[in-house]
Amino acid sequence: MTDARSLPLADAGDGRVDTGVPRSWMTTRVDYVVNWARRNSIWPMPFGTACCAIEMMATYGSKYDIARFGMERLSFSPRQADLMIVAGRVTYKLAPVMRRIWDQMPQPKWCISMGACASSGGMFDNYTIVQGIDQIVPVDVYVPGCPPRPEGLIYALMMVQEKIKGESLADDRLRVESSSAVGRPNLPPEAIQLVAQPFGNSTRQNRMSGIEATSALQRPRDRIERLIEHRD
Amino acid sequence: MTTTEAPHMDVGLVAGAPGPQSVESDVAVSALRRRFGDRLGGAHLDAVGVPVIDVHSGVIHDVLSFLKSDADLSYDLLVDVMGADRGGGRPVEVWYQLWSMEYGRQLRVVCLLPLTGLSIRSATDLWRSANWLERELYDLYGVTFVGHPDLRRILMPENYDEGFPLRKDFPLRGRFGRPEQVRRALNRDIEDVYAREELALAGLLSDEESAHPAFDVPGDMSASDLVDGLEGERMLVNLGPQHPATHGVLRLVLQLDGETVERCIPHLGYLHTGFEKTCEYREWNQVIPYTDRMDYLAPMLYNVGYALAVESLLGVEITPRCRVLRVILSELNRILGHLLWLGTTAIDLGAFTVFLYTFQEREKIYNLHEAYSGARLTTSVTRIGGMLADLPAGWTTACREFAAGVTKTLDECERLLSNNSIWLSRTIDVGTIDGETAINFGLTGPSLRASGVAYDVRKARPYLGYEDYEFDVPVGSHGDTYDRYLVRVEEMRQSVRILMQALDRLPSGPVNVDDPSVILPPKSASMASIDSMIAHFKLVMEGLQVPAGDVWYSIEASKGELGFGLISDGGSKPVRCRFRGPSFVNLGVLPYLSEGSLIADLIAVNASLDIVLGEIDR
Repeated sequence: MTDARSLPLADAGDGRVDTGVPRSWMTTRVDYVVNWARRNSIWPMPFGTACCAIEMMATYGSKYDIARFGMERLSFSPRQADLMIVAGRVTYKLAPVMRRIWDQMPQPKWCISMGACASSGGMFDNYTIVQGIDQIVPVDVYVPGCPPRPEGLIYALMMVQEKIKGESLADDRLRVESSSAVGRPNLPPEAIQLVAQPFGNSTRQNRMSGIEATSALQRPRDRIERLIEHRD
Repeated sequence: MTTTEAPHMDVGLVAGAPGPQSVESDVAVSALRRRFGDRLGGAHLDAVGVPVIDVHSGVIHDVLSFLKSDADLSYDLLVDVMGADRGGGRPVEVWYQLWSMEYGRQLRVVCLLPLTGLSIRSATDLWRSANWLERELYDLYGVTFVGHPDLRRILMPENYDEGFPLRKDFPLRGRFGRPEQVRRALNRDIEDVYAREELALAGLLSDEESAHPAFDVPGDMSASDLVDGLEGERMLVNLGPQHPATHGVLRLVLQLDGETVERCIPHLGYLHTGFEKTCEYREWNQVIPYTDRMDYLAPMLYNVGYALAVESLLGVEITPRCRVLRVILSELNRILGHLLWLGTTAIDLGAFTVFLYTFQEREKIYNLHEAYSGARLTTSVTRIGGMLADLPAGWTTACREFAAGVTKTLDECERLLSNNSIWLSRTIDVGTIDGETAINFGLTGPSLRASGVAYDVRKARPYLGYEDYEFDVPVGSHGDTYDRYLVRVEEMRQSVRILMQALDRLPSGPVNVDDPSVILPPKSASMASIDSMIAHFKLVMEGLQVPAGDVWYSIEASKGELGFGLISDGGSKPVRCRFRGPSFVNLGVLPYLSEGSLIADLIAVNASLDIVLGEIDR
């Protein structure tokens, strides 16, 4: 970047208004500027359903003040939103609604799965709760907790910001959507079968847990993809 | 608005209090015997001394009608209609839980329906509160109510085809595999739920319109068809399920004429979590974490109510310290729930500041929650027979500081709202309901008291020693949105009053009952003595054994009468675990209150009912 103060000021004599602002320039990567703008003005679409939504409200409240991250402008319309925060349990009755809202959001878009229920069905392994919203929509960050504290949600938002930092406009693979995927499940049936085994009960482990060692660095999504590869 | 002391009712049927000596000497039971003779079955007293009478399904409507209209009985509040399936091919039970405002008496009428003939006459013509309660039974048990005006599924999707979830032969995880469930869920067109019946009900299908080709689509039709067919005369608008002003995932289908709501059809079940089914697979103490997640705005009230209900089945008397402690936590959470209501309602009506003020106070209560239980809002503080632990050091002082400070915030909020011309014009004479209609709709809690009916379970059937506390029950005089606001604000002040009295009298001593067969012994004891270790082992491995019996127990939650219908077969898990969420029944009044008003008033009315979807959809 060039030192702006060394540049000549705009000449007020040639008919242009002197705004007092030095005409300056800088060089940078387009990716950097775009990502900087994107990650500091995320408009979240709060898809709050249950208890987690109350903690999400606490995050917007005065004590935790999400405005510090440029995210206080909630976009209740999905058409203007960048980030879907799914806070709370999602039922099979609500699943098509959530998928439609996700489909209505324009790219680039991100998704946070807030809380145990959204991420895995949590304590509700029953006939009505979706066992993890990643079966329906792609998820960028999972927040553990029942419900997560506001700090947890803020940390997840910062992780989304980190993720945006690493993106490039030249690589559009992440941002291309196929129209045939609209309204479809995010995972193939085999993967849903694998991740939806009874889980959490100590006598019946998740079937995936015997296949690969769990490590903190592995995200559930990686494991699902690897499992699908193994099956082929 | 006037503040009156509700008349103290001596007929309180509280846990531990002596009920009628014999069930046959009960006024209602003997009157029914005289009138219906041998068409009635046996009668018994349940675990809290409420008379229960079995009635043949053929005369159920006559019995209910008699109970409601007879001047000496006048059971005018239908509190709950719940179903129960004990499994093994035994008949499905339908429980009608009744309350007489005039005489302060409870009664339960039970009807047994064989699995081959699940049909019964509807009580919707007697009580409008029966409407949704019966639809829920139809949805979850498959009981057909003859004469019901609108018998559709209410919680599950309308085209749900896996069966009736609360039947014992229905597997916990549903009949289909997860991939199939996901596939079916996403194949469901979310706009294809305007059934023909519903359109007819909404008066949208006149004879002429039915002949219109756009309406000749077999089965369901989509919203776009509908709007085309209407040619701009009337409009059908979807409010929700993802709308900031519906306080959760409530969906309202509105038929509008300009800005006037002609018809409002609520659609529930977008948050149906299967609590009641799941709890049948959990041990008695394992149910407590589930109770938090039903009313996440005031979780401890659910914790306390559930523990009291199970203790009444067990016949356990909790310690004096535990009683007072539970009062403190209940009142703290009543304030917590009402604060959230105040903040979000103010946002709905355009006043953002109040939200910030109330959330500041809520954060203080969260800190108290956290200091005690470790969690901010899913507290799970009670155990059957006691609490999870004694209070940490300094907790009562912090609670006193909070109670002293919250009244100042309430003053500030009232200064912002009570005489604010926008607030007044948005709330006064909006959504008015008189006391009698409110009782008929089954309203309870502040929404009922705003209509001038001083019914509060804490006064009517005192539990936890509420009769020893000095507090008033605020009642409104107009039954409009403004009265509901005033009643809730005054209730918070009364809660502070109770809180201060309880903090003053909190006795020392143990918080848990001294009974190793009910509650885990302290860790130090179970490591030192063999008796304690055996008790610990048995409780952990076998779970708490609750004697066979049934009970329907209720407390005053922040939103109204919170009932727990429990059936035990003597095992370690409930056979039936019914939660009567007050906001489920309260929300049923929304169409009545909003039809004919402006769409903006609908938002105010909906907010003023103080609903929480976790409890409505369960």
